Amino acid sequence: MTMDPSETNNFENQWKKAFNEASETPPPMVWERIEARLDQDDNNKMIPLWWRSPKLWYAAASIAALLLVGVGLWMSNRSGSVQDRKIDIAAKMPSRTEANGVDPGENGGREEGRSTAGDSVSGDNNIAATGTKGKESLNGKAENSKINRSEIAASKVEVDQFGGSKSKNNRRKVPGKGNESIIASEQNEAVLKGNQIAGKASSIENEEISKTDFAEKNKEKEVSKEVYAKEVASSATVIEAEKESIASQNQSILTDLLQPIPFKSLEVFVQKRYVYYKPEVQAEEKLPELKKPKEYWAGVGLMPGSFNPDVQIKEAPNAFVGQLASRQKSLTGTNEAGTSYAIQTQGGMRFSKHWSVELGLSYLQGNAKYQGGGYVLNAFSNATANASNVLQDALANLSSSKNNQPNLPSTDPGFANNSTLYIDVNKKVSNDYQYLQLPVQAGFTLRPDKKLSYSLLGGMMANFFLSNELEAATGEIITTTASDDIYRNMNWAATTGLRFNYKLSTKWKASLTGSYQKAITSGFKANQSLESHPSLYGVSWGVRYSF
Amino acid sequence: MTFNEQELVIGCKARNRIAQKQLYDVFGGKLFAICLRYTKNRADAEDVLQDAFVKIYENIDSFRNDSPLEYWLRSVVVNTALNHLRQQKHWKDLDDIETYENGIADKEVTLGDFQMQQLMELIQELPPGCQVIFNLYAIEGYQHNEIAQKLGISEGTSKSQYSRARGILQQKLNREKRFDDGSVRNKQL
Repeated sequence: MTMDPSETNNFENQWKKAFNEASETPPPMVWERIEARLDQDDNNKMIPLWWRSPKLWYAAASIAALLLVGVGLWMSNRSGSVQDRKIDIAAKMPSRTEANGVDPGENGGREEGRSTAGDSVSGDNNIAATGTKGKESLNGKAENSKINRSEIAASKVEVDQFGGSKSKNNRRKVPGKGNESIIASEQNEAVLKGNQIAGKASSIENEEISKTDFAEKNKEKEVSKEVYAKEVASSATVIEAEKESIASQNQSILTDLLQPIPFKSLEVFVQKRYVYYKPEVQAEEKLPELKKPKEYWAGVGLMPGSFNPDVQIKEAPNAFVGQLASRQKSLTGTNEAGTSYAIQTQGGMRFSKHWSVELGLSYLQGNAKYQGGGYVLNAFSNATANASNVLQDALANLSSSKNNQPNLPSTDPGFANNSTLYIDVNKKVSNDYQYLQLPVQAGFTLRPDKKLSYSLLGGMMANFFLSNELEAATGEIITTTASDDIYRNMNWAATTGLRFNYKLSTKWKASLTGSYQKAITSGFKANQSLESHPSLYGVSWGVRYSF
Repeated sequence: MTFNEQELVIGCKARNRIAQKQLYDVFGGKLFAICLRYTKNRADAEDVLQDAFVKIYENIDSFRNDSPLEYWLRSVVVNTALNHLRQQKHWKDLDDIETYENGIADKEVTLGDFQMQQLMELIQELPPGCQVIFNLYAIEGYQHNEIAQKLGISEGTSKSQYSRARGILQQKLNREKRFDDGSVRNKQL
């Protein structure tokens, strides 16, 4: 009957063995109750889960970044507004220096107002203000004592405020906060002491005020007060250093206050003596419908952007050659991108975890400016006197070579004689385009099933020319349409982009797409003296719905 | 494992109801058995199981793949059960008692002769504190110092309560055995 050594824990092992694989089917009503609670939780916890999710912050950060880029682009297109902004900044300068606390007269009252209003930032300003006070007190100004008193009142309010927030906020932070405000008020006192030494005025009164105000402090702090006072008296730089360190400490308090309550994870206890664990053999079960193999979506979007038609003149029109043999530079006009927009619709298909393909249809209104070098005034033109810039003239030449004449002011190509007059005016005229765009893009999506996913896009785009509106020298608008046979009916562009998708629900997604398009063929028909390679970059805002 | 545990966890993390149900279907039975061991009746066990699963779904994000899923699920269920019992103050007045004496303490009984149902009833019949400590030590495999820490009792109490539980169980097993065992009964007759 001797016990086998391997059976020392026989008793426990037997029980463990008996219950390790023990299973008892719970009644179906348990799952129903769980489900009911999950539904309830889903409804209740939608909002708190939002701010808890770091993904949201990533999304917010990336949207902010794209917004910045978008606003930057937009602003760059409005060069005229730069001066206004400068004036604006100039106007703000004095008020900002005021806010920094240089003006000591108002500070006491203002700080008081702020701290009662519950602005936690006031701690910083307060110290800054007392710092400047400290310096002034060394100079021995008589009115300082009054200001200092109001300072103490202000810091008292602050102490109260911190005290009040103690109970509301995390208890751990209480001692830190208390110390900080005490240090702040100590410094006030140190300033007071400085006053006593330097100014020798109404010192007893000040002493009394400070004693009644800070009666709860212990002796140790009294000693430090003395030290502070001496330091203040000896040099102002010590106060400066103190000010800085307190400011930085205050900073850390603020971040402490802003910290959310940490997420407490559930304790995981790993069993140490789990000897008989055996993986459960279970019938093959696939999760139904966890991932759809194919997903289709449709979306709409609006893309503000910057469109540049990049029109280049290969050879100068005759009228200009005659006038400007020595002015080659004037013959090349400059293009300036303008604020444009595109209205986009798209449909797409996701055919694997990461890959998708999408097809779109958009209307692009591309606004731009053209600045040509000077005008040619044609005195002998058939009707009234006509002036045209180099692009207008080139356009006119193109259209006159066709039988089908658009409504351009006619310019005789053969009039390259001295009876024309060149006016050297750099006038900026509008040069707007309308295109219908048909992009086909492939997309590669990172983190496809997460709340926030990123797609890299690339593909080709067919741009169907609708019309062009060029402002003539006379101010009238010259409209060129596809039927005028000047522009290509369709030209190809390459397109690429980066898209952020944020899952709003299982069906809806919001997207933000930064994209760049560049034409790879000229917008004009071949064998012509003009060339155009439009480019467009913009940030598109859109939503899409998955089927 | 033939069902895809990884996929199940991903589904649950995505709050996918189908995945949640499947997790319940796969592990619900085993976890319910644990709940039964820690409680006195089925109704209590159902409550514990319900709470435990809600906790599991809510905290599935904190599950890392560094331990098997089943360990993690078990630990959640055990902790939930302990919380329930703590509310009922099951081991509030547990004392460090003398080692439980019984005449047939050393007689080993093979549990294989018993139905799981019978064993479960034996555990449920243990005094409340004993029951918890027996479960934690013998079946979950915690050490006495860990149990003491978990329950806020002394290590000595844990040990003495365990030996008390063990004694009671031995005694009952022997008695049942005697009734079941025909030879014993015949001898008695």
